[in-house]
Amino acid sequence: MTLELVVNGRRFREPVEPHVTLLRFLRDQADATDVKYGCGEGVCGACTVLLDGVTVNACSVLAVQAEGARVETVAGLGENGWLHPLQQELVERGAVQCGFCTPGVVLGSLEAVRLGLAGDRPTIRRSLAGNLCRCTGYRKIVDAVEAYRDREGPAS
Amino acid sequence: MIPRPFEYERPGSVEEAVSVLAAAGGRDAKLIAGGQSLVPMLSLGLARPDVLVDVSRLELDGIEAVEGRVRVGATTRHRTLELDPDVRSLLPLAAEAARHVGNPRVRNRGTFGGSLAHADPAAELPVVAVAHGGEIVAHGPGGARRIPLGEFFLGYLETALAPDEVLVAAELELLSEGSGVGFHEEAQRADDFALACAAAIVEPDGQARVVVGGVGDRPLRFDGVPGELAAAVESAIEPEEDAFVSAAFRRRLAGVCARRALAHAREDAAA
Amino acid sequence: MSVVRDRPARFVGRALVRHDAVEKVAGRTRYAADFGLPGMLQAALKRADLPHARLLRVDTSAAEAVPGVASILTAKDVPENTVWVDVPGQTFRVGALKARMNVLADGVVRYHGEPIAIVAAETEEAALAAVELIDVDYEELPVVTDPGAALEDGAPSVHEEGNLLASWQLHEGDIDAALDGAHAVVEQSYETQAVDHAYLEPEAGVAWLDSGDVITVRAATQVIEHFRDLARILRVPDNRVRVIAPYVGGGFGGKEDMTVEPFLALVVRRTGRPVKMVWSRSESLLAREKRHPMKLRYRTACDAEGRLVAQDIVIVADGGAYALLSALVLLYATTCSQGPYACPNVRIDARVAYTNHTPASAMRGFGAMQVALGYEGQMDLLAAELGLDPLELRRRNFVERGDTLAVGQTLDTHVALPELADRVEAALGPKPEPSVPERRVGRGVACNLQPYGRCVWLNDWASGWVGFELDGTLVVRIGVPDIGGGQASSLVQLAGEVLGVDPADVVIHIGDSALTPLTGTTTATRQLYMSGNAVLQAAGELREELRPLAAELLETEPDEVEFADGSVRSGVRRVPFRDLIGAAAKREVPWHRLSIFRAPGGDAWRSDASWRGRVFPDFTYGCHAVDLEVDPETGHVEVLRYVAAHDVGRAINPQSVEGQIEGAVVMGLGYALSERVVYEDAVNLTGTFAQYLIPTAVEAPEIEPIVVESGEGLGPFSARGIGEPPVGPVAPAVAGALADALGRRLTVLPFTPECVAEA
Repeated sequence: MTLELVVNGRRFREPVEPHVTLLRFLRDQADATDVKYGCGEGVCGACTVLLDGVTVNACSVLAVQAEGARVETVAGLGENGWLHPLQQELVERGAVQCGFCTPGVVLGSLEAVRLGLAGDRPTIRRSLAGNLCRCTGYRKIVDAVEAYRDREGPAS
Repeated sequence: MIPRPFEYERPGSVEEAVSVLAAAGGRDAKLIAGGQSLVPMLSLGLARPDVLVDVSRLELDGIEAVEGRVRVGATTRHRTLELDPDVRSLLPLAAEAARHVGNPRVRNRGTFGGSLAHADPAAELPVVAVAHGGEIVAHGPGGARRIPLGEFFLGYLETALAPDEVLVAAELELLSEGSGVGFHEEAQRADDFALACAAAIVEPDGQARVVVGGVGDRPLRFDGVPGELAAAVESAIEPEEDAFVSAAFRRRLAGVCARRALAHAREDAAA
Repeated sequence: MSVVRDRPARFVGRALVRHDAVEKVAGRTRYAADFGLPGMLQAALKRADLPHARLLRVDTSAAEAVPGVASILTAKDVPENTVWVDVPGQTFRVGALKARMNVLADGVVRYHGEPIAIVAAETEEAALAAVELIDVDYEELPVVTDPGAALEDGAPSVHEEGNLLASWQLHEGDIDAALDGAHAVVEQSYETQAVDHAYLEPEAGVAWLDSGDVITVRAATQVIEHFRDLARILRVPDNRVRVIAPYVGGGFGGKEDMTVEPFLALVVRRTGRPVKMVWSRSESLLAREKRHPMKLRYRTACDAEGRLVAQDIVIVADGGAYALLSALVLLYATTCSQGPYACPNVRIDARVAYTNHTPASAMRGFGAMQVALGYEGQMDLLAAELGLDPLELRRRNFVERGDTLAVGQTLDTHVALPELADRVEAALGPKPEPSVPERRVGRGVACNLQPYGRCVWLNDWASGWVGFELDGTLVVRIGVPDIGGGQASSLVQLAGEVLGVDPADVVIHIGDSALTPLTGTTTATRQLYMSGNAVLQAAGELREELRPLAAELLETEPDEVEFADGSVRSGVRRVPFRDLIGAAAKREVPWHRLSIFRAPGGDAWRSDASWRGRVFPDFTYGCHAVDLEVDPETGHVEVLRYVAAHDVGRAINPQSVEGQIEGAVVMGLGYALSERVVYEDAVNLTGTFAQYLIPTAVEAPEIEPIVVESGEGLGPFSARGIGEPPVGPVAPAVAGALADALGRRLTVLPFTPECVAEA
């Protein structure tokens, strides 16, 4: 089958087998290696991407199901080499250690703030339950999301 | 780690989907909507269908009140149930239960119809559907068919749907004015599969029902007087034992979930 | 060690942004699996379906016929089919005191998931299809599932030499007399479970044949020195193998032993083509080595004032099917089994046995953390027996500088435990009330010691290169693998500090066994100590080499020269590094320096009962406290507050130190409450993240790290290591808090809701 979709503003028109997940397509055919394989089960969130503006686990979507869609990954954030304010907060607050969970954390947190689901620390944590991290203990991630929300996000 | 190859069809209508399923013959054809249960199973090698029939783009979403019932379209996303304020007022029980389904990524993609058709006994939405009562609307080669919810869930990952039928909606009984609802789940971590869950409805006349999930091969419904229901649940159920969780503990949790769901429901009714 | 002039540090001690954080948050970092080469093959392993069986027949013919299969390798295709792990002290020997296992199983498999064959194919589909077609005839052998049972007469053998992997018995003082005459004696058994590292990045790597016929492996690893092990397996000279470690997505000891490396190297050797292998999460959970489960039996006695007079300790650890680092883990456990408490009479009987479980090896804490459940539980029990506050009882027993642990290890540096305990107590405040009457709140405290730096007789060393480019910019080259703990950025901070360059302007090249000076393993909480000192030395020596020339250019005395702000300065005069290095180049004054830091050595350890001596260079001490709320009906535990105090000597980057503490505490909470590898007759049932439960952001509490800087540590600027230490006190603190809440002590990990609810 031929798949047409847009990844971070770049148009792709590629042959793809139906059994290929969106995760594998992005990594192998769209060079979006910022989308990580962590579990393949939809539990860890390392493969979080935006699919038509909504976060999904790319490992749990077939590429063919993204026909005609707009996919955004963390590499598409920020402009002209500048970091997005949430990325800035994560970096400045020491919330990035091995960094493997980080792309998923960025996209998951942005959605949480956008939807008003980051009103307090427990709610932020609840919104991040699908982004596993083994290094940071989460505290500095929550600090960063809170700071970003106060700085830029809609009031919740 | 990667799914085994299969054929893929994306029918443009329910009728077309039904024909594709019917034409599969002896081959294993499965429907896919949100894919949040199915795609991980494909990746883990736990499901190896020959054909996948994608119904996710059939416009089967939407929630509307229809003659004493609420019709929930099959492709309604869990996230809509969780966050949409109109849905919250029409289906407060479903809205509450939807919060517990997987994580936000799963909820963004997973569908109500998919959850019902998949029929995992630990899933939240089947429990809610059975608590409401009503009918499943399915389309097959013979046209539309209505299956009462009390007869829909047959066993572990097994429903009354025929292999060539597509679930298009559930029509849930609207709750009477003055009734209250409650939902409670016990899972080890926030977004995990439920160890046990319960949906409870208390009617204005004091009658109640509670449906428990995760402790049998399908949602189990108990009707009666609120004060006695939790004990009835605990004594009647026969949960599975596995290497991770004992049957006795599941039984205990089922009782706790039932009790707490009923307590929420009574508070909700009084409010 | 070079001496830094006495002035406040410019960069050390500041919460600087890590240089790697920016690329990671932007998704630009290329981890091991994010890399590829044209013509690359995909490799997959055929793994054993049974935990103990003879391989009567391994038939790859059907698999070889799958279109796209390039090569299938079994034991006979491995030139030297042995992985040697240098392990002092295990009791059976093959050759000279080395633990061994096969690269590919040869005639027998001993654990569920043991690799039997490698398939390399053009696509992942072909590789996996071929793996499924490899036909194995097994003859099932009796399965050993319990280390205690494994050590009894008549138990089935995992290895011909018997099931005792390693043991150490020692007796200091007169334990029986001390127990007899004691004021109070408490006896308890404790049990810890197998857990998994569960790093977010599964094992992965790519290998290829580079010029000079150098087999190059770019893999997620904590040890680039494995190039030597690969060379031995391939029977090629060491200089024909190169290992590159990109940034690693978490290690925690799980990427310390080789993972994908030998399989990749074998395929490259056979096919000449590049090859990639990424393990699935299931594979990783099923078959990657685990933390040693331990059964501990403690008898602990004290006098009327609560001072310890006796510790009688029995340790039986489950080493799984192959030795790997088990004997070393046992050594760590034994040495630390009395805890940070002085005690004149100590008897320890420690053994680790083979079973058919997944081989156990390194994991953060490395044996010294499991025993904390025992020694801290005992202190709580004694405190209760004497009616003393748990922290008070501990205070009366803390080791001090100059004390000696039973194994003969003297403690030469400051022991900050009293201060740590004070700080924790001050932070806690009154115990909170339950949120609803049906729930119960409990408070627990725990202290620990964890070594940093390798065993002294291993004569550890580390080398690093620091140098300028001709334009005056600063470069560090060092083999350190960075597994997320800021291993590389600490070095950047140190080099910048010594040479007066903003760390943001320093470039560091790491992790290449052919191109960067070797610095040893990223394990044993040793990198800040070892690499840090190597870089400190190199930078300091370089500075002193340049000082005379700088003085000349500045027309001043050498000791008036300051290195700061990317230049050398004296008063108002300033020469930028660019000009200094330009002058150095003309004068043949070196502008780079390679330096080797050697840790102090020690007498070789022997596992006989009479050996006494120094095992470790030093320790990091900690004191933690936790308040938690229990729902007795459901067993649900909510951690309300967590306070963790450690003396880190000097915090090179305080934010990084906090991050290590916070991450380790959450890992410890998973260990305490929800993580376990579940076996049934040695078949591992825990194959998904839905079954193996690591804490999410919801289970993780608001952690309050308390960083104490005593100014005494062996690392650069007197730092101590902090990677492993904070994981140790967590389970004991939780155990104490649960006992406080429930009125009954739980002693078998993990404390799942089912265990807690029954109480």
